Amino acid sequence: MHMRKLLLTLTAFLLFAGSLLAQKTITGKVTDEKGNPIPNASVLVKGTTTGTSTKADGTFSLTVPSNAKALIVSAIDMTTQEKALGSHTSLDFSLSQEDKTISEVVVVGYGTQKKKDVTGNVATVKGAAVSNKPVQSFEQALGGRAAGVQVTIPNGVLNNPPVIRIRGTNSISLSSYPLIVVDGVPTFTGDASGTSAAGNALASINPNDIESIDIAKDAAASAIYGSRAANGVVFITTKKGKAGRARVSYDSWVGWTTATRLPEVLNSAQYTSYKNEALVNAGTYNATSNAFYQTPGPDGNPIDTRWYDYIYRQGFSHSNNINVSGANDATSYYFSFGYTSQEGMIRKNDFKRANVLANVDHKATKYLSFGGKLSFSNEQNLAAVSSGSLPGEAFATAGIGRAAVLLSPNVAPYNNDGSYNFNTANGLIGVMGNKVSQVGFYNPVPSLDMNRQYSENNHLQGNVYIQLKPVNWITLRTSYGIDYLLTDNETFADGRTGEGFVANSFGGSAASTYSKNKRWVWTNTIQFDKTFGKHSFSLLGGNEQQKSDNVGFGVGRTIVSDPFYTNLQGGFTGAPTTAGLGIGENYLLSGFGRLQYNYSSKYFLSGNIRRDGASQLGENYKYGTFWGVSAGWEVAKENFWTAASLDKIFSSFKLRGSYGKVGNISGLGNFGTLSTYSAGVYGTGATLSFSNAGNPNLTWETSKKTDIGLNFGILKDKVTFEVTWYKNNIDGLILAVQQPPSAGLPNSINTNVGSMYNKGLEFAINATPVNKKDFSWTTSFNISHNKNNVTQLAPGLTQIITTSPAGAATSESVSITKPGYPLGMIFVTRTAGVDPATGRRIFINAAGQQVFFDFSAPAAQRYKYADGSIAPAVGLQDAQIYKQSSPDNYGGFENTLRYKGFELNTLFTFQTGFYVYFGSYAGMRDQRFWNNSVDVLRRWQKPGDVTDMPRPVFGDNISNGSSFPLDVNVFKGDFLKLRTATLSYNIPKSLLDKAKFNSARLYVSGTNLAVITKYPGPDPEVSSNGNGTTNQGVDRNQVGNGRTITVGLNIGL
Amino acid sequence: MKHKIIFSLALAGLLVTSCQRSRLSPNPTTSISNASAFSTPDRVLNQVRSLYSAMRSGQFYGGRFVIYNDIRADEFINELTNGVTGLELWNETQNNNNAQVLGLWSQAYYTINLCNVFLDGMASTGSAVVGTALSNNYIAEARFVRAMCYYSLLQLYARPYWDGNGAKLGLPIRLTGNTGSGDYSLARSTVAETYAQVLDDLNFAETNLPLTYGVAATNTIRAHRNTAIAIKSRVYLSMQKYPEVITEANKIVNATAPFSAATGVNHSLQADITNVFKTPYTTTESILSMPFNANETPGTQNQLGYYFSKSAGNGEYSLNTAGIVADAGWVATDKRRTFNATVSGKLYLDKKYGAGNPYTDYVPVIRYAEVLLNLAEARTRSTNTVDPQAVALLNAVRNRSDATTTFTVGSFATATDLINAILKERRIEFLGEGLRSPDLLRLGLSIPGKATISAVAPTATNYIWPISATELLLNKLCVDN
Repeated sequence: MHMRKLLLTLTAFLLFAGSLLAQKTITGKVTDEKGNPIPNASVLVKGTTTGTSTKADGTFSLTVPSNAKALIVSAIDMTTQEKALGSHTSLDFSLSQEDKTISEVVVVGYGTQKKKDVTGNVATVKGAAVSNKPVQSFEQALGGRAAGVQVTIPNGVLNNPPVIRIRGTNSISLSSYPLIVVDGVPTFTGDASGTSAAGNALASINPNDIESIDIAKDAAASAIYGSRAANGVVFITTKKGKAGRARVSYDSWVGWTTATRLPEVLNSAQYTSYKNEALVNAGTYNATSNAFYQTPGPDGNPIDTRWYDYIYRQGFSHSNNINVSGANDATSYYFSFGYTSQEGMIRKNDFKRANVLANVDHKATKYLSFGGKLSFSNEQNLAAVSSGSLPGEAFATAGIGRAAVLLSPNVAPYNNDGSYNFNTANGLIGVMGNKVSQVGFYNPVPSLDMNRQYSENNHLQGNVYIQLKPVNWITLRTSYGIDYLLTDNETFADGRTGEGFVANSFGGSAASTYSKNKRWVWTNTIQFDKTFGKHSFSLLGGNEQQKSDNVGFGVGRTIVSDPFYTNLQGGFTGAPTTAGLGIGENYLLSGFGRLQYNYSSKYFLSGNIRRDGASQLGENYKYGTFWGVSAGWEVAKENFWTAASLDKIFSSFKLRGSYGKVGNISGLGNFGTLSTYSAGVYGTGATLSFSNAGNPNLTWETSKKTDIGLNFGILKDKVTFEVTWYKNNIDGLILAVQQPPSAGLPNSINTNVGSMYNKGLEFAINATPVNKKDFSWTTSFNISHNKNNVTQLAPGLTQIITTSPAGAATSESVSITKPGYPLGMIFVTRTAGVDPATGRRIFINAAGQQVFFDFSAPAAQRYKYADGSIAPAVGLQDAQIYKQSSPDNYGGFENTLRYKGFELNTLFTFQTGFYVYFGSYAGMRDQRFWNNSVDVLRRWQKPGDVTDMPRPVFGDNISNGSSFPLDVNVFKGDFLKLRTATLSYNIPKSLLDKAKFNSARLYVSGTNLAVITKYPGPDPEVSSNGNGTTNQGVDRNQVGNGRTITVGLNIGL
Repeated sequence: MKHKIIFSLALAGLLVTSCQRSRLSPNPTTSISNASAFSTPDRVLNQVRSLYSAMRSGQFYGGRFVIYNDIRADEFINELTNGVTGLELWNETQNNNNAQVLGLWSQAYYTINLCNVFLDGMASTGSAVVGTALSNNYIAEARFVRAMCYYSLLQLYARPYWDGNGAKLGLPIRLTGNTGSGDYSLARSTVAETYAQVLDDLNFAETNLPLTYGVAATNTIRAHRNTAIAIKSRVYLSMQKYPEVITEANKIVNATAPFSAATGVNHSLQADITNVFKTPYTTTESILSMPFNANETPGTQNQLGYYFSKSAGNGEYSLNTAGIVADAGWVATDKRRTFNATVSGKLYLDKKYGAGNPYTDYVPVIRYAEVLLNLAEARTRSTNTVDPQAVALLNAVRNRSDATTTFTVGSFATATDLINAILKERRIEFLGEGLRSPDLLRLGLSIPGKATISAVAPTATNYIWPISATELLLNKLCVDN
């Protein structure tokens, strides 16, 4: 309570200081149409900052200067009302509910537009949908909320960047990630971390500070962002002060996260006997020199380690946010502070964020206003070792997702004397009583205890603007924004075992790197808004510059002088090496314009144009012009419509369409179009060699987008429908076109050559079937269908085989992109089951012949045709295009049921029509020392056994798909997830009044509560390759998404 | 006042906009634009070094090229069955898609293009920057490196010269620099045409290279006149043009022992061969070597020591105990036997490249001993007699490592016996130096079998390598072997 008083006093000082020459006192009451009192309504003397707000019973008392003419009363969600003072000493106000559909605005880039007038395709998600969720960044909670927007959280590592696809994947070599514009400034996206702790750049935005998320999907809505609009544009608008006295709101939750659907693996006894059987089948079993044995633990019983217990945990998280906001005629402000500390379900994987945000707007005179925003966020992303889940990590030796499954259950993390169990000769986990050389890779427990993978982001985002209105229909505005993302990475790996191991030394490695991303954006606009009779015009013109700079450097050291040292600054004997070096810059210079016109709110036209110059592009093609046009027709306002009585069915009926051309340069290197020479050394002398063949003609990828939609409402818009058909033809896809090797060029040259399309249908329905005083039900459902097809690659480039992870030293080729198919088809070698007579895996080679494989045969005789003759080895060369990895359909289904103070909100999300390569499963039936899925217990054992698990032969990594990908590890991914369910209780006003609260809400919420799927892995929605375009649908050693239960409260003062 | 603000704002906006267009063409700070790569004498010199550096790549002469020419022949046994370290080359099953077949082709042509880009740049600006004398030296070095590339490719990707007297398919010959996209379809010239190009470059190099750099290290790692001559003796030997071999070798070998080069760098044999293979690696016996040190390494799985040494490397290949090591004439006390050692029960070429991690052994490209044996063989073949000087040359190589064996003219009943002795000496002397496969191929001998691998006859398809699959895909005029 003290705080509230203090704030009020402060606010009073700030706002009213020096202008309190009171002359008379006005009292009154503010009610709604039904006569219920409205507390906290703002009561202002017109044209001044003098005012108050109503009490809980709706009454107010205000001392006004003698020259005061009128009072203005406003309240959230209510229409504003003005009444002349005259000689009244008492004035009552009755406010009516604001018609949201009329006043609702959407952000359209460099301005807003009334939702009713929008002819482009923009989906809006309110901030409330993403706030108070157990997430690190807002996009994690965005899935299923809007048609045409597919959000995938690739794994269960905290703060890993979700993959956002707006209407499919729209590039092959560049990014398909949309442009994210935060309060007018395009921000950095992706994983800023240089360590195995993910560090999503967007986590700097506290989801509780978000007012709205507007997603521009078609060319008309996005063309104002020209060369960056091809993947759609997501506008984030942070909260601003709302009319009324200072409001304080406090949000807090605590949560618990656990791993779900972990695959069941063999226990110690099963593992030991199964592996011995495999050794016998291989003909190499020897009880004294080559056999598996259970080892007695400290209690004398055989060791039976459930590795999940050492790697996963129940993570505890909490979040606290407080904000103060308010506004009067002249000034509005919003200040917030948030702190969250979250534990992931993987041990040592933590996320901490502290952030502040200030938004202030001030109207100095009738024609001059200014304001600004400043946001600072510090995020700590912590982990001990690689999760094996971030892009590039799938086969990381220390990868903990895989280790949990792969490690032998018949050895323990600790020796019986309590010391860590590891082999000092090679740093791997010790074999204990087993008579084999290896039973796993690293022991994850000492790594989890001693290693660090830390990444800390300091993110500053701000802008200031000045706005002039020389006359009421002209608005001039200049704004300058900055976005500074500064990242410190720090890693340490203990050298006795695990990643830091070096033979015959203390080992150990440490590295620290720093990367700095700085951007400024200066925008100048002029806008004319004028209505002539029934003709309304709005014309926008502007120019903008955006400059981005990045610098990175760091150092690495190896082999500690003494195990005492655990950081880079300590003692090391190895020579330091450089790490994370990088420097670059890019610049975008733009001019843009927009014309909006409507006739009688019945016919709408709009056109956007933008001309961009981008430094990353070839010297000959720096500039390009992009545009989008759209038209809309509110048929329900036509006389014939009314005459035909159609208005009795349709309360609104709007047709709209758009077409335009936008571009994509996202992810293009800064200097790649230049031909350059780089330095080296030869015999200690400096060298300079031709190292990059540029392309002065390189330009953007071009998307030509068509969008045709129909929006209509029935039952006074209680139920609204939205149906949209779209097609996006993408030309000039940039591909690194290989030249003949004998041409001797140092690199494949980026060239605009490829083409593909995405087309689809979106359908959304929003309804409020019941809206009574004590009971209401709102529901919304959206489904999107997308079809992608690659129509052309480059001359000589008939297909692109993409590995998982792309570019990593250890990877597998499981994705193919080929004209005539969707991007990233799953590409595997086919099989025909297991031979019931012999238990051999049957492969199908490229010629379509069955090839029987027996790992226990001599090397030259392992592959045989059905007739017993020797066949050539089957492998990658026999792989076939198999299944589609991108979903045909995806969407969400949300329901909110309210009964009195109780409210139940559920969100289901779904995807159908896609397959996932469950690479982890290849490992889970690998016949080396790896532990296996319990599914191997149904292995072939004797002639006549009909099963899908071949006869186990120790060492066999071919029958199962470890050596090259097989169709048996590809599964249908279709799923329906109960993404979130929240039960909340709004404490009744009667109780609140006593405590002097405006509002108080308690809730319990669950995330990822249930999933219906036939997919056998932990989560069909994961991806080993993050934002990759051509290698989606791969689940290789991923940690799935966890389940989180939260309990929280929201209090408004 | 109001209007002033508006106008100032508008004006400022315009000014800034017009001033910043240069930002659309930023210059990188970590690489040098092609426009200024030849602008100073230092940059030109640095580019010269880069040509050798490209040749020194672990994919090429810094490691793998030498390794491939040994392991595809008969002196080594594959121990680790690793495809990355040449299993398919060793067992003679290489195909168009082999990483080795693709990688060597690419790296050699990358080096060729660097030479061509350099030559173009010298013609347009570089020569003026450094002056005529230096310019000619540098151009000669570039043409020398280019010749090395084409010659090296011929040894693996084309039929030997004797087959049709060079009429078989050689290589696509590229002599101008490529710096951007384009149509690079080009058919293969004949073997004879390719050799002609190699010799044209080497002749220019001989005429224009400096006699010496005055520094032992530089004399070892960059080409000087005698380097070009020495390589020419090798090239003519590959073409079976023995009189020409004699002409070239005589330029740098005096008539009687002790043999040495009279002019230019004073090449001669070292008294102790092991001195050639240890630091500083820059004796006058090493006519050309590829340098390495702690900061310049061949790269993972490219190092000679990694393949051949068990105690200092990964022991990828052991010595074939049925190969030259079994030869009774190679006596136990021969100094060259000290390079071999039995480790973990197997015999390895353990010490020739014994520096170990980070693998700083220099890789020999050509040694003076080879010139002597080239000359000896050429004299014997061209005279078809037991040539006394040939015997003296053979003795020079033999005696410095094995004082107990001295050949006389009487040791050889026929010229053929002498030739066989010279060829055997080459196997002993150059074991692990990448000469075995080219020596078999230039003479049309079968590649002998080893372990379970059968011999490869000169008529067999796999006697030479197939052409890179990527080349065939992207260069429609290029045909496979």
